[in-house]
Amino acid sequence: MTGELRVGFDVGGTFTDGVLMRGKDVVVKAKSLTTQDVTAGIVQALDALLNKSRVNPAEVAMVSLGTTHTTNALIERRNLNKVGIFRLGAPATTAIPPLTGWPEDLKQAIGGVKLVHVIRGGSEYDGRDIVPLDKQAIAEACRKMKGKVDSVAVTGVFSPIISDHEEQAAEIVQEVLGDDIHITLSHRIATISLLERENSAILNASVITVMQRAVNSLKTAVSERGIKAPLFIVQNDGSVMSVDYAVDYPIFTVASGPAASVRGSVYLSGIEDGVVVDIGGTSTDVAYIVKGFPRESSITVTIGGVKTNIRCPDLLSIALGGGTIVKHQGEKVSALGPESVGYNLVRLGKSFGGPLLTVHDTAVALGKLDRKLEVFKTDFVTHPEKVNALPRKLVDNAWAAVKATIEEAIDKMKTTVEPVPAIFIGGGAMVVPKEGIAGVSKVLCPDHFEVGGAVGTTIAEIGAYAEGVVDLEKEDRDNAIARVTEQAKDNAKTAGAIRETVEVIDVEEIPFTYMPGKREKVRIRVKGKIL
Amino acid sequence: MSVREILSEWGVDDFRVIDKQALSEITLGASILATGGGGDPEIGLLWAYNVVDQGKEILLVDPEAMPDEALATIAGCLGAALVLTEKPPNGQELFWCYDKLRRYMGKPIEAVIPPEAGGVNTPVPMAVAGAVGIPVVDADGMGRAFPELQMTSFYIHGVSPSPTAAADEKGHVTICDANDALLTEHIIRGAAMAYGGISWIAGYPMTGRQLKDTAILRSISLAWELGKRVFTARRKHLDPIAEMLNLTGGYRAFQGKIVDINREFGAEKTKGFSLGEILIEGIDTFKGHTAKIGFQNEWLTLEVDGAMRCMPPDLICILDPVTGEPIRTDIVRYGYRGTVVLIPAHDRMRTKKGIQTFGPRYFGYTHDYVPVEKLMEGKEG
Repeated sequence: MTGELRVGFDVGGTFTDGVLMRGKDVVVKAKSLTTQDVTAGIVQALDALLNKSRVNPAEVAMVSLGTTHTTNALIERRNLNKVGIFRLGAPATTAIPPLTGWPEDLKQAIGGVKLVHVIRGGSEYDGRDIVPLDKQAIAEACRKMKGKVDSVAVTGVFSPIISDHEEQAAEIVQEVLGDDIHITLSHRIATISLLERENSAILNASVITVMQRAVNSLKTAVSERGIKAPLFIVQNDGSVMSVDYAVDYPIFTVASGPAASVRGSVYLSGIEDGVVVDIGGTSTDVAYIVKGFPRESSITVTIGGVKTNIRCPDLLSIALGGGTIVKHQGEKVSALGPESVGYNLVRLGKSFGGPLLTVHDTAVALGKLDRKLEVFKTDFVTHPEKVNALPRKLVDNAWAAVKATIEEAIDKMKTTVEPVPAIFIGGGAMVVPKEGIAGVSKVLCPDHFEVGGAVGTTIAEIGAYAEGVVDLEKEDRDNAIARVTEQAKDNAKTAGAIRETVEVIDVEEIPFTYMPGKREKVRIRVKGKIL
Repeated sequence: MSVREILSEWGVDDFRVIDKQALSEITLGASILATGGGGDPEIGLLWAYNVVDQGKEILLVDPEAMPDEALATIAGCLGAALVLTEKPPNGQELFWCYDKLRRYMGKPIEAVIPPEAGGVNTPVPMAVAGAVGIPVVDADGMGRAFPELQMTSFYIHGVSPSPTAAADEKGHVTICDANDALLTEHIIRGAAMAYGGISWIAGYPMTGRQLKDTAILRSISLAWELGKRVFTARRKHLDPIAEMLNLTGGYRAFQGKIVDINREFGAEKTKGFSLGEILIEGIDTFKGHTAKIGFQNEWLTLEVDGAMRCMPPDLICILDPVTGEPIRTDIVRYGYRGTVVLIPAHDRMRTKKGIQTFGPRYFGYTHDYVPVEKLMEGKEG
């Protein structure tokens, strides 16, 4: 599809970026303020793109976005679904019931423990039933829930290996609550580790409507503007999924924005292994790229205060951005942030005549704002006299503090002592030091770096994975890996990839410890191009 | 009888209440002392939290406070770590074990002793003590984590694991009363397989006197203090490793980046344990040096530039140098950075029978045991 027009958006905490791409080239870019509902900001950026470029909307072949709809909803406990919660696992597992360890306000926002049902069922690791599934109990619980729940989450013990009980439960739920009820099955969301997978499934079920509304309003906005292209959303691993798929799996978009940034950096810089530093107005995310994709975090990911095992990019977020307030006593810097003026920079920052010294003002004072970015409407400095009045020592100290903070963050994410290339992107990239950064072979600030995330959303690659438990006493290791790889490729095809283009990103093997035999879990990630 | 009634009968008014914060601190300390194994303690911790939330009391008593004739047993789980995270208990399993053991032995069990001061089997006995309503004794059977039932200071000092009761979540209970500790281990692990991967066990019945004579005493307070210090170090941005060394008298033996992991699977000799070795390339003061660590569920041996520096039962802990978070053998990955800390095992673990039971040769290594103090003489970086 190179040569065709693609539109991409990246929703950040402060700004929503948009780009219109033709093949590898950025045709136009736009920036709008992120709105509370997120969607309005996207539509504004879309209008700006269409107005500036004057392209025929019908020529647009793909619209994609990295978005924060679900993350915001979960963090703010806003517009969440009431979730009917089923765990299939009694008589095991009841010492730790569902929602254990959840923040009280989030528990209430999704309907609380009265919607929780622990049902007899689930599987053993070797495929036996723990006990037969208590179908009657599910039907009864559903009748009680009728009218009280918006969606249902089902989690069965060992469902990532044997999903039968979850599937059977889904049928019963559908039968009693109707076809319109949305059901999340845990085995489609995450892997082994019951409590974290259950949390992931419940969170997913809680943001179904949020995602549905977002997708519907975007679809309407796009088609009203004459665009007939399909919509895609970037998922946590940096690949894209169709919006219709995203409606079922909104939880896969919690790290959508950062993942898009990483992909954009790879695309713009051509570097496939290194560090990505995405500097925004309020925070900086540092990620590590391996073969062009963000490295996955191997630890639990906490979303809205809940521990999950959703696969997310391994990301280090620090409270440093262009709008970060430099706290100082005289010429000495006492702290960088963590507070930021955010989009109030244009009112509160020294450069704009405001009362507060920010990282942005430091860069202005040092004459480091070398590039003029067309996407910003305002000048970077409207009150030079305020900046000139700053003591030089203070400015130098602040600059050094910013550099040290970035160096430390990069160092934490590196997996090698050797210097690696670093890619600086994001709106804040132009107001931070880029020379002499420790541990880095070179700092790249590619063209269009300020809209790197938006560019990243337009790379048309589908990601998928498969996993299985293999018994190496019965099956050769290479055969087993090949078998799971084929499954992963099939999954990528189902998600919309051209099967012939699908390639393996990584292979993970986890042995079953403290147990006789040669069992291990194999997980294979693949990527492929879109039809 | 409630736990308070038991303590007043013992004449004990000096005990410590284990609240949720204490549980999290003890669990962090125990996961560090678990030497890379011991299973993910999260399940035990959440269970214990729930027990506390239900208004039950978890009370920790000093071993000296326990009357010589009172009876204690270990409580914990044995089996596949992965099954534990996927199929947590219902909380009744240990009640069933205690009930059957009491009837079998004709005596009440008045206290719980954690089998390990490391991994999931530290918070689990806390939860059990709270749920059952008996005190938990500030001691354990190894001062670390080890994979097998007979690998305890109790056993090597003459206490038999039998009778041991092993239950599943459906109320099935297996009681094993065998003279041979290794056979008991095989039978209980066999029960775990039949149950679907995990046995919930109570065993090693011992009197207060035996406990005082054979256990690793006050190891739970050590884990607690360790957890506290690491949490404090994180909060105040201090060096957690230094805090740990101060407390344990350990050695900072290596620091580096994991550059290779070589796992082997279920050969006869591994008895089903995950086995392998990792290579660590030195950084900072260890630049230019290479470390090799052998593991069988736990980190077992450390060689630096080909020279042996630590063997079981001495402790090898690999920790994140910044957070002090332990790195486990089952989730270790290429690229992790870690500081290797060595801690001498308790003297009660270093007897001749101890070295036979869990020394290097038992794990298939060809070295004779040499204490870490000797191996590290003048070698600390």
